Amino acid sequence: MVAAYKALFNLVVAFFLVLSLEGIGRKITARIQRRIGPPWYQNFIDLFKALSKHPFSNGWIFDFGVLMALGGTMATAMVIPMGSAFWTPFPNSDNFFVIMYLFAVGALGMAMGMVGSGNPWSSIGVSRALTQMLGYELPYLIVISSTIFHYKTASIHKLIEMQRGGWNLLVMPLGGIIAFVSLMGMLGKKPFDIATAPAEIASGPMTELSGKYMGLLHIMHVFAIFVEISLFVDIFLGGGNFGWYLVKFIVVWVLAVMISSVLPRFRIEQMIKFYWGVPLGLAFLNALFVLLGWTL
Amino acid sequence: MKERTIWEQIADSFRSRSIWMLHYCTGCGAMELPPTMTARFDMERFGIAPMATPRQADILLITGYLNTKTLRRVIYTYEQMADPKYVIGFGSCTINGGIYFDSYSTINRLDYYIPVDVYIAGCMPRPEAILEAFNYLMEKIRKGEADGWKRYRENYDWYKQNQIRSLGEVYVHDEFHE
Amino acid sequence: MTNSMSNLVKILESFNPFVEEIDEKEIKITVSPDKVVAVLETLKANGYSHLSLMTCVDWIDDNQLELVYILFSWEDGGKFLVSTRIDRSNPKFVTVKELWPVARFYEREIHEFFGVEFEGNDDMKPLFLELWDERPPLRKDFDPRDYSRKKFPDREYEKDVIKEAKIFRGEING
Ligand code: SF4
Repeated sequence: MVAAYKALFNLVVAFFLVLSLEGIGRKITARIQRRIGPPWYQNFIDLFKALSKHPFSNGWIFDFGVLMALGGTMATAMVIPMGSAFWTPFPNSDNFFVIMYLFAVGALGMAMGMVGSGNPWSSIGVSRALTQMLGYELPYLIVISSTIFHYKTASIHKLIEMQRGGWNLLVMPLGGIIAFVSLMGMLGKKPFDIATAPAEIASGPMTELSGKYMGLLHIMHVFAIFVEISLFVDIFLGGGNFGWYLVKFIVVWVLAVMISSVLPRFRIEQMIKFYWGVPLGLAFLNALFVLLGWTL
Repeated sequence: MKERTIWEQIADSFRSRSIWMLHYCTGCGAMELPPTMTARFDMERFGIAPMATPRQADILLITGYLNTKTLRRVIYTYEQMADPKYVIGFGSCTINGGIYFDSYSTINRLDYYIPVDVYIAGCMPRPEAILEAFNYLMEKIRKGEADGWKRYRENYDWYKQNQIRSLGEVYVHDEFHE
Repeated sequence: MTNSMSNLVKILESFNPFVEEIDEKEIKITVSPDKVVAVLETLKANGYSHLSLMTCVDWIDDNQLELVYILFSWEDGGKFLVSTRIDRSNPKFVTVKELWPVARFYEREIHEFFGVEFEGNDDMKPLFLELWDERPPLRKDFDPRDYSRKKFPDREYEKDVIKEAKIFRGEING
């Protein structure tokens, strides 16, 4: 029972934290571009407005895909530990691999629904998104595997406990940096927002989304951001109690926003070349160091 | 006008604070949008953001003269947008034809074909005027007066008849896609 | 007239053209319709290989249509305007799409806006206008004002704005 309450608390925190952070991110981008920018609660307004519109559906695969995307991502957000063993809703199943597989359900649901809309831009966007996944997942998974090998556990809250002595980022700095670069790709932030490129492919997978569907996918996106940044904070920044966890979360997000606000967009093949070039090589180097025991 | 329920009032106040415009430009007015969007006038502070497809957008900007060929596409686009949707007509060309009043391919009056909520006078309106119009539209939405989409639905026959009269038929033939 | 251009004009003498020098690098030659293709071929063989524009002018008083081909040379930057006049009431000409494939589209456009038939070019679908139901619109006897009134209804103003403006300026008494 307690676990269920904690899981619900996870969702509530994710919703309010990430939506306000997105608004703050827009504000930061605006300030960097010398604009005033929208208020920090703008994304709440956008979301509720989207939910209040009268949308069009594109058949049951489309509806089902959107629900599956939202459901899969919500389920993932429920099992994520928030910084410590106490804030872990399901201590027995917060294994990294469980989270990765659950997370894939959401992504596949989105791909299915959006291709089901029948719009060519959506299909192009989905294929770009999957290609991009191939790009960033490879270095990321190699870094995570070396982490798991180093600490001899894949359970996130145990990983957090093992980092009492020092953050993983300091133990293997190379791995931490590669993971952050992959995180930028996961978040779909500026140099890597290839899948949704509004100027080239009309916002890609979201082309046919109107009103409520847009709102639901926005919520899914919110939970996805929560999962991705939480994993980084837990695995590399050592979690911490709830307050520290929030601080680290915000710092990582603000850093990502600031980097993305000054960069233009990669083309799809440039992105793949980028990820499979230096980051992949460094990830292997990092794995080698871990195997040889040369960690700080 | 019908009384709005409390939910509609709340929804309207949300709609007025978050306007996603379709980034689609016809005619000269396209030039006035970049300054309105960028640092000098910054319309994002009112919650106005550009969107790439008609499905996601709330507001359609007709930024200048419309010839019959474009009008067909505009009608398509307008009908693809999700309710509630709003239209702003820019410049004298959309009001009464402007300097193209006697052109054989340019329509004279936009609100015969799709319902317009706000017109901006000028040739071309400056960004200040555009922001003013956006604020006026927000006020109208908040009060529930921006009901162009309802008018389009109620008077669909009348609009259709006007469209057919000026265009012959509202169907897009496109040799490059057939 | 540059040297190479005057040489070319000498070559073209045999078509007995009417030569007009517009400026240093621009020469207009007017020939009779049956010689146009030969002139164009000669020019193309001598470096004027770029068809910049092909267009048409309506001389309604002479009952003639003037076809103009503008050729550009990438070698010396010169321009030749080859023009010819054809009958307006039954406008027919031959296509030059074998010389320049891009002429297909220019010919379609001229067919659409002036009603000239090009023999040999069988793709004469409308290019710009959709569902056009009147005489070709760039002919001088087409009245766009009338057409616009018929097709695109105007806004009816209740106020007489002009009169008010005149009163305001003090030109008439209100
Ligand atoms: S009103 Fe003026 S600026 Fe606007 S579209 Fe017409 S001619 Fe262009």
